[in-house]
Amino acid sequence: MADHNDPNAVNSIFSDIDVSAADLYDLFGFPSDDTTGGEKVVIALTFASVPEAGVFDTDMLYRIQISAEPRVARPAKDDHSLKALLRYFDTLKDKYLGPLKASEIRVTVDQANRATVKFIDFPGGSFSTVVETNKVLTIDSPGGHSIKTFIGGRDDAFFNDLTGFFRSINYAPQFYYVPHTMADSRELKIPKTLLELEGNDLFNFDPNNPDWGYQGVKGRSSDGFKKDLPPGPLTWTGDRFRKDGNGNYRFVYSGFDCQNGKNINAIILEIPLGFITKSPGHDRIVNTWGESWVLKAANKIETIPDHPFWLEHPMVLLDAIKLDAELKKYKLVDTDGQPFADAALSEREDNRQLGANNFWLAPHFIKRLAHLGWGFGPSISALGLQTSFDHDNSPVSVHKTYSLVTEAFPRVKKTLFQELNMPDDSWNKSGLNIPLRSPLEIFVPNVCAIDMDTTGTWPFGRRLEDQVATRFLSMFLDMEADFNGKKYHLELLNDQSLWDHAPIEPKTPPNPLKNDKEFLDHFPYLAEPWS
Amino acid sequence: MTPKTDKRTDFEIELQRIDKDISELKDSVLTAPIDTEKATRFVYRFYQRASLTGNFAELEAAETAVNNAIRQGIGPAADLYLLKANLDFKFHRLADVRRDLEMGPGLADSFPGRALEADLDFQEGRYEDARKGYESVILDDRTWDNLARLAYLKAKMGDVAGAEQLYDEAEDELTAKEMRSYAWVELQRGVLDLTHGRHEDAWTHYNQADRAYSGYWLVDEHIAELLGAQGRFAEAVALYEKLIVRIPRPEFRQALGELYTLLGEPEQARRSHEAALAAYLQSATSGGVHYYHHLADFYADVREDGAEAVKWARKDIELRANFSTQAALAWASYRDRRFAEALEMINRALSSGVKDARLFFQAAMIHRSAGGNGESNQYLQMAAEINPHYSNFHVHR
Repeated sequence: MADHNDPNAVNSIFSDIDVSAADLYDLFGFPSDDTTGGEKVVIALTFASVPEAGVFDTDMLYRIQISAEPRVARPAKDDHSLKALLRYFDTLKDKYLGPLKASEIRVTVDQANRATVKFIDFPGGSFSTVVETNKVLTIDSPGGHSIKTFIGGRDDAFFNDLTGFFRSINYAPQFYYVPHTMADSRELKIPKTLLELEGNDLFNFDPNNPDWGYQGVKGRSSDGFKKDLPPGPLTWTGDRFRKDGNGNYRFVYSGFDCQNGKNINAIILEIPLGFITKSPGHDRIVNTWGESWVLKAANKIETIPDHPFWLEHPMVLLDAIKLDAELKKYKLVDTDGQPFADAALSEREDNRQLGANNFWLAPHFIKRLAHLGWGFGPSISALGLQTSFDHDNSPVSVHKTYSLVTEAFPRVKKTLFQELNMPDDSWNKSGLNIPLRSPLEIFVPNVCAIDMDTTGTWPFGRRLEDQVATRFLSMFLDMEADFNGKKYHLELLNDQSLWDHAPIEPKTPPNPLKNDKEFLDHFPYLAEPWS
Repeated sequence: MTPKTDKRTDFEIELQRIDKDISELKDSVLTAPIDTEKATRFVYRFYQRASLTGNFAELEAAETAVNNAIRQGIGPAADLYLLKANLDFKFHRLADVRRDLEMGPGLADSFPGRALEADLDFQEGRYEDARKGYESVILDDRTWDNLARLAYLKAKMGDVAGAEQLYDEAEDELTAKEMRSYAWVELQRGVLDLTHGRHEDAWTHYNQADRAYSGYWLVDEHIAELLGAQGRFAEAVALYEKLIVRIPRPEFRQALGELYTLLGEPEQARRSHEAALAAYLQSATSGGVHYYHHLADFYADVREDGAEAVKWARKDIELRANFSTQAALAWASYRDRRFAEALEMINRALSSGVKDARLFFQAAMIHRSAGGNGESNQYLQMAAEINPHYSNFHVHR
């Protein structure tokens, strides 16, 4: 048609940003209560149910990486300097890029919806098998370990007021049609906040349109909707939090479960610790993270049906060279280790999907944490609570970004290094002297570090029933402060009595306290999918 | 790649998906309150369909839909103006493209806006600006299409290895969810081989494109050209005949006419050429400018009517003065025996730095007519070095 180069002749002007099977949702990991035959760890990677719950996208490859180790040393308690922090990152870097070699479980699903599961570089070697999907199965390793497996559709185990979270960070695409050409108009330059800002009409709750921003959420009175992005300016110029006639602040959260009634696809495994490490008594921390990879176009053409040998002999020892060649055919899309590590701390940028190898993000992590702190810190103070973030007693949230780590660090020092108190001792089922964890240890590297001597409740892993979104916010509480005679802890913001007495409406914890469907007390633990 | 149980081609499947989407979205633009996102998608799907089928009437309909949406204020203006700019670009209305980029709020600074700006630079002969523009947008937005844009520029400037490297990188960005785009890049790689005389390599890429995205007329069209270049005229004719039934574009008819000439079938050739010319002129009469280049080419090489060729080549160069339009005017002037003008214009085209066998061949002929036999031989040698088969059948792209 035209005597010029025109890639848009193939109409790629607007990429279709549909929900993708590459979109990882959550990674759960905790020690199994079933210790028959030895300790086991449960790992569940969940992702978008595309094309549908229980049916898998055959262009995808999912990886769950696992490495067991003793508990990691962290900076000395008294040395909360930037230098010590960077030294800590260096130690991690050396470990993850050096001697530490993760084992891995790789899953692909074929056109017949059968899953090929490859166990690679475990102490007992590598092997592969083909299993049916949507069934609880046991895979027996060549070394005699039994691995429970479920690869199929389930109820989404995440329960969360996602709309509230997006309102708190002024995330425009949840509420507005953001033009494809305005990629930078996503998180608008308005202070992040837990309390509505006076005059923030771009994001404040609209009583006339209660379902605004709740599109596709079940259980609302309507399907929800977005508005057209106004011409601008897309900013806020106020100087206070919004208060109603009774002097109450307005919470950006409503506690509504936006994942209500939704399904996901999942890879769920219950793995003997003895299969993961030769020294289960010594290696008490099981680090795990998930990745989604999509087949590259060039390699789709080369795809041939599984060789009959594989089908007839499902247990085949793998050739490591072949496996690396396999991965080269795919492109990394998403990683998942810690909840909110990407959404809250990495701004969901695709090029920051680094999983465990997110050390280079450490400076960004500090700057981003300070940016969030200027939003959430003043909100916490306004409610009469103590915050770990140093916001100079600002009466209202501030939109502030940093280009220098050295400027951001003093603000977030306490938030980074403080130990996150647990509500009671039930997490420490062994009664061992296990140190509490700090945000620093939790988010860098971006792995789910399951402590086998605990229940695996977040941040010692992640159990299905953990309300991690609210626990994430608790990082900004000052863990040295008291509430009702007890130190602040990770569950404080889930405590209804706190909200009952707070000058806020609605009087609710930010996120729902439990899942919409009861979890199972046995493998695969996640509830049956909704029909 | 379709599952084996599905008999439809990838092209048919995609077309049906777009049609289904259009049908489902129709209500959103007809019923108040208008859902902006759906309305924008509706217009976009129209554009997508027209691009996919390569049908000019559909493109014009898409243009009407985009213009209506802009007029009625449906959808984000920047997105709609981006669509409009792309349509104008397809139709060679470069001044309109620039205006569109200015009209869409924030569009000129957006990644797709910047890529289009660089395309404009290229089309308007500012090659260094184009290169910088592509490199800058790639730095900020490393997408397959931006890499392919830069690859094309490098290929034209004779950096074949650089172009191939960039096409490699572009393909590496593409996933199994973008097989049509992958097929398109494979076609560009095939063209690069064809224009350098590597016919077997071109076949490899064209076959790869066909396997990646079956049923695509664009692949057939490239294969038909390759068959012609290899002297397999009867096969090329058969493929063009089939192609024209699906996509009745005049440039295909012109190519068919040239192939019939090569086959020694003048009557068939005459019919095809007349049909092509009628459609070109019809487009120009109704205000279209995108066939000016083809008209210049047609009059210069099919009719060998220099005066008419010059007329259309001048119109084209008024829209976009680049090596291609300069060479076309030079060639038309040569046909019109205006050798001094031809020489001046071909030298301008050559000063672009473009390394192209066809351009060098034309330069050789023009220099010879102006008495510069030494330069003429040199250009012939340069043409042959790039493509030993430069005089074989080829289509104008």
